[in-house]
Amino acid sequence: MPIHDQGYRHYAGERALRRRAWWVIARAGIMERLRERRFLGLLLFSWSLFLMRAVQLYLGTTIAQASFLAPTEETFHQFLNQQRIFVFFITIYAGAGLIANDRQSNALQIYLSKPITRHEYIAGKLLTLAAFLVAVTWLPAMLLLLLQVLFSGGVEFVSGHPRLIPAITLASFLQVSLAVMTMVALSSLSRSRRFVSMLYAGIVFFGAALDGVLRISTGNPAWALVSPQNTLAVVTDAVFGNASPSAVPVSVALVALGVLLGISIFILERRVRAVEVVG
Amino acid sequence: MRPPLLAPTRRIFELALGEMLWARRTVFMAAAAGAPVLLAIVTRLALENGSSVLIINGGRVDSEAMFGTAISALYLRFIVPALGLFYGTSLIADEVEDKTITYLFTRPIARGAIVLGKYLAYLLCVISVVLPSVALVFMVMVPFRDMGVLFRALVGDLGLITLGLAAYGAVFLWAGVSFKRPLVAGLVFIFGWEQIALTLPGSLRHLTIAYYLQAATVSVTSLIVMIIAAVFVAMRTIERREYVLEQ
Amino acid sequence: MIVATDHLSKWYGHVSGLNDVTVALPDGITGLLGPNGAGKSTFMKVVTGQLRPSAGTVRVFGEPIWGNPSQYQRLGFCPEQDAFYEHMTGLEWVAALARLHGMEEASAVAAARRALEKVDLLDVADRKIGAYSRGMRQRVKLAQAIAHDPQLLILDEPLSGMDPIMRRRTIRLIKEWGGAGKSVVVSSHILHEIEAMTANIVLIHNGRIVAEGDVHQIRALIDEHPHRVSIRAGDPRALARRLFVDDDITSLRFEDGAVIVETPRPDAFYSRLTEIAASGEAGAIEEVTSPDDNLQAVFNYLVKP
Repeated sequence: MPIHDQGYRHYAGERALRRRAWWVIARAGIMERLRERRFLGLLLFSWSLFLMRAVQLYLGTTIAQASFLAPTEETFHQFLNQQRIFVFFITIYAGAGLIANDRQSNALQIYLSKPITRHEYIAGKLLTLAAFLVAVTWLPAMLLLLLQVLFSGGVEFVSGHPRLIPAITLASFLQVSLAVMTMVALSSLSRSRRFVSMLYAGIVFFGAALDGVLRISTGNPAWALVSPQNTLAVVTDAVFGNASPSAVPVSVALVALGVLLGISIFILERRVRAVEVVG
Repeated sequence: MRPPLLAPTRRIFELALGEMLWARRTVFMAAAAGAPVLLAIVTRLALENGSSVLIINGGRVDSEAMFGTAISALYLRFIVPALGLFYGTSLIADEVEDKTITYLFTRPIARGAIVLGKYLAYLLCVISVVLPSVALVFMVMVPFRDMGVLFRALVGDLGLITLGLAAYGAVFLWAGVSFKRPLVAGLVFIFGWEQIALTLPGSLRHLTIAYYLQAATVSVTSLIVMIIAAVFVAMRTIERREYVLEQ
Repeated sequence: MIVATDHLSKWYGHVSGLNDVTVALPDGITGLLGPNGAGKSTFMKVVTGQLRPSAGTVRVFGEPIWGNPSQYQRLGFCPEQDAFYEHMTGLEWVAALARLHGMEEASAVAAARRALEKVDLLDVADRKIGAYSRGMRQRVKLAQAIAHDPQLLILDEPLSGMDPIMRRRTIRLIKEWGGAGKSVVVSSHILHEIEAMTANIVLIHNGRIVAEGDVHQIRALIDEHPHRVSIRAGDPRALARRLFVDDDITSLRFEDGAVIVETPRPDAFYSRLTEIAASGEAGAIEEVTSPDDNLQAVFNYLVKP
């Protein structure tokens, strides 16, 4: 036909399988966050310890007089522990509004009226936060390991510590999972990003303060279980093969973490719905 | 001619107090204040059982000293700054986020009255929740025979906690008026800057609020000056600043 | 003039919200009209002192509004956003805001009741706002704007979310306020609503004032768009033959028993049409209407590309 129709044309391309919706949500969330300069600054600052450790590795590996700076397994364990403060701030900054903002703007109903399941929606939100937390835990730790290999000119360090890569991966996984599940579950409880931040900070710091005071006053180290962070520390200490200063058995700590994750899953199952009944 | 301040402040105070008392987050405040009471009960039971004893420097620590530890470690280093941060930052920031600030700004009252009224409501609310908690902890931890002797110390602690709540609340009120994300900055201040500055030698510790709340260096004058200055600056800031509400 | 701006501009970073706006709004009801994103809300926020002008001045009742809270005694603002203290009842909320105008408790409650009655919410005044429907929420917003009996009402999309019956009632209410000597500036992007309230409009587009004044006068000034006149006649073709004699029409077509003509000189054309009708030479003329002597046409001609 010589004269072409200028009217509306329906999408004639391929439609991806429904199971990819979680990636669309995650990608949108990640890109939205990366557009904020302040957040980019926080992410970059989170790598400052990596830089210091990289210098330490270089000096310890290449200069004989500085061999006391040479890394051990404990170096990487400490690094992950020190990154916890950045995990905390990034979790609050990027995680508090993940579901809370959608609830406030009534976007949850719009999401769930599309051909995606609740689980895909939740998975997308979890992945959004997890991506940033992995970027400040597992990724810099593995890069440090790579730098160690490069600086030393061989893989002796890695082959001499076969537990290291799985330990870094497992410890990072636990740290990220705990933060992500807790924060996303809390985010589903409220419409206020600020209130969610308060709740999360309260759980983290109040738990630690309670643990400290109870342990001192009763002498019982089992009170570490009231603090998610200290409970996690028991497990990561065991992962790196360190004797934990706490006498809490690792299995008990794992169960406690499992309970916390279970509660988070329960909350998400109950709260992420398209319909809310108002009494 | 500047509009009056006192009468509008009172009205905002009444409005804010009613809002705060029945807010869900006040439950959070009560939980934060109630936890030390439970803690005290657990500790007292443990001590009565004889199942545990606290020894410091070879000396057995009694319950009065533990009460002092609870005040400094739990209240002054955590509960007071946390409540000041959480509630101080949200006084104005919540109204801006919820877009209800428009209704207050379009009344014939000075904007500073909004800040002052809400701050006073916050102060009354937190004091009403936290001070009874401290008193309860005192009654649980301190044996009855020693209560008379230690009563003056309790009153001093109550005063210190009140000043702490007022100081942190005032500073974070100013942060909430001035910044878009005051909570993160406040967390960095309390759990980052104050923790580090207090341990470093030199004068950096003077740039914290916690320094003036410590028993050895308590300064009522400094705290009062800090409170008045922070509230005044917050009042001036809100009068000059425009708030672009997100659509 | 109750509201006057002089070279008013407002920028949000690099985005221009208002661009060199000089306008004087008279007493009475003024419709602020424009498509979404035109700058209506920005204009209202600047006029109510929510935003500070980036350049230029704005005066309400002859005085600057920014940093001048005493002006709010005479001003009532109904914002666009759906934001309330949800835990309060409608009565509590309106009364609490009325108290901030200096009223004592009893007076504030009485004023709140009167306002809620005007917007038909008295029977649900003791229900929490969180349980209100969308239309009720819009009405309680109106109530808080009128409770203190202001001289000037600034209403940003007041009919949004209302059902047709409530829209009609609210339009009537606004006209009553105008009739009672109050000044009202009401914004909307729905043309027939503004048209039902007032003929005095300010048309805004891309942050600039495109036109202001009486809608009919504005229409008359739009020369490049000839006026369209629809004439229903007993013998349309005879009428058409008669009309073609003179050169004051630029086009003519037939539609559903009517003759639709376009003329650049409507006054001369109407005069000639009257003579034709009186002479009966083109048969009976049953109806004469002008489909584009209205706000829609003005809007289309001035705003749309």
